Amino acid sequence: MFEKLVDIICNYVEVEPENIHPESRFMEDLGFTSFDFMSMLGEIEDEFDVEVEQTEAANIRTVGEAVDYLEKLASES
Amino acid sequence: MLCSTVRQILVNTEKKYGPEDAVRYKISKNEIEAKTYTQLKEDSESFSNVLKKLGEQGSHISVIGATSYPWLVTYFGTVDSGSVIVPLDVNLPAEDVCDLIDRSDSTVLVYDEVRKDVAAIAKERCPRLKTLISMQQAEHNEHASSWRKLLEENRGGFDYEPEPDQLCTIMFTSGTTGKSKGVMLTHRNVAENATCLDMKIPERTVLLSVLPIHHAYCLSMDILKGVSLGSVICINDSLIRVAKNIKLFKPEMILMVPLMIETIAKKLEEASLLPAKIVKSQVFGKQLHTICSGGAYLDPAYIDLFNKYDITILQGYGMTECAPVISTTVSWNIRKDSVGQLIPNCEAKTVDGELWVRGSSVMQGYYKMPEETAETLEDGWLKTGDLGYADEDGFVYLTGRKKNLIITKNGENVSPEELENALSTDRLVGEVLVREKNGVIEAEIYPDQDYVKKKRIKDVRAKLQEVIDAYNLKAAPQKKIYSLIVRDTEFEKTTTRKIRRF
Repeated sequence: MFEKLVDIICNYVEVEPENIHPESRFMEDLGFTSFDFMSMLGEIEDEFDVEVEQTEAANIRTVGEAVDYLEKLASES
Repeated sequence: MLCSTVRQILVNTEKKYGPEDAVRYKISKNEIEAKTYTQLKEDSESFSNVLKKLGEQGSHISVIGATSYPWLVTYFGTVDSGSVIVPLDVNLPAEDVCDLIDRSDSTVLVYDEVRKDVAAIAKERCPRLKTLISMQQAEHNEHASSWRKLLEENRGGFDYEPEPDQLCTIMFTSGTTGKSKGVMLTHRNVAENATCLDMKIPERTVLLSVLPIHHAYCLSMDILKGVSLGSVICINDSLIRVAKNIKLFKPEMILMVPLMIETIAKKLEEASLLPAKIVKSQVFGKQLHTICSGGAYLDPAYIDLFNKYDITILQGYGMTECAPVISTTVSWNIRKDSVGQLIPNCEAKTVDGELWVRGSSVMQGYYKMPEETAETLEDGWLKTGDLGYADEDGFVYLTGRKKNLIITKNGENVSPEELENALSTDRLVGEVLVREKNGVIEAEIYPDQDYVKKKRIKDVRAKLQEVIDAYNLKAAPQKKIYSLIVRDTEFEKTTTRKIRRF
């Protein structure tokens, strides 16, 4: 899950994969804007075949939190 | 065709395009449902019947939710029956929503279940509120009525013609400063704003509505202008899915705010080595040809960039107080530095540097705020609060906001927007806010993180200081920046994506 997410992240910001860690913050460390982040969530929906809740996703700050959230979604579906 | 009431707009189009699709929306991931113009008109008339039955014809009706078919039916059904619609921001905290319901004297609240938190406390907080209607609930219960059930129970035509000068809506301005104000607009105000200019947009154009529906720009341009042109209005279900929905609905035109255009521009720049045609069809689809920009100032450089991909950006200018469009660019007459030509129902003059406008779209005033109204309206002229002028051809040029004016110690006036725009041209500057602090001009900057990474900039602060120094070299003395704050997070934004000024 983590590796797959890192691949997607690299489509949005110019960061080397080895510099992306579970504790990396999307906005502050990786350089996402709010609209970049939302666009990426759209791609994640397709990739992982899940439905992201915009209100819940708004609380995600780090890559690790995103992985946890996606695992939760995957286990529910 | 010029229409002077919202009802005329819908009735005219229904006559012409009755069986054609008016609204398309998703019911599941890849499934689209559509409603025709005849259905939209009939459902709206049924909702007018609902209000009459409730004894609320002519009352103030609050509505809260994301863009949806029930939202649109509620809008048309309310205003076409001579009642007053109060569209509320779906992202506001529940307490603030209740404050607006109360201050607008609403007696009915129609809500999307995403805001059931509002419904739970509204009756207690808003003493005048009598009826709650849920857009999704299947049956009536003691707490709220079912929107769908009410419509079924009150089917039938509704023969009523609102007067052009009758109050149509109270729209709360998001306001970058101060308490939000309820802008009172009549049918003529909104209907003529949407229909007085022939922008040569073909009838039946497919458009994707992505902006918040309580926003005057979205309501006027996407919905009212859209309906007047018999357009197919496709509803974007979430900002997460704009790219996907462009592929699904294949729109020809989209209304955006500058922040969205800037994000897309970054993607385009990254793909700049690929052939423009391929990038265009990947990002926008082959059919998209026009993006309208409004809500905030857009750097004209984006107009050129998007042109390379065969996309025309039409920049407009307006404010809720003017229903909202004041000027707009049209595809056959673009002047890049201008925010467009005054629309036909609007004239302008400049008083002490400030742009004043007059015409059939200027509001009646702020609801129950006589002092603020008197400060803003004078002999029918609306003081826009923007510094600027219209040239002899009616093209409007803006230089800043009067409200945010910085008065320097030597009495010079400085518009922070002018400085912000100058600094923004540097790629390192992501977002910037300029203000006066302890007598000097201060810039607070959020660096463009992509750029920092791309250029592997180690000392961002020093680099930003170089940007400021270079700017200062060329700036007039009163416009020099003496203080720099570097942010590590984006600025807080209003729901229309403007940076919130404090």
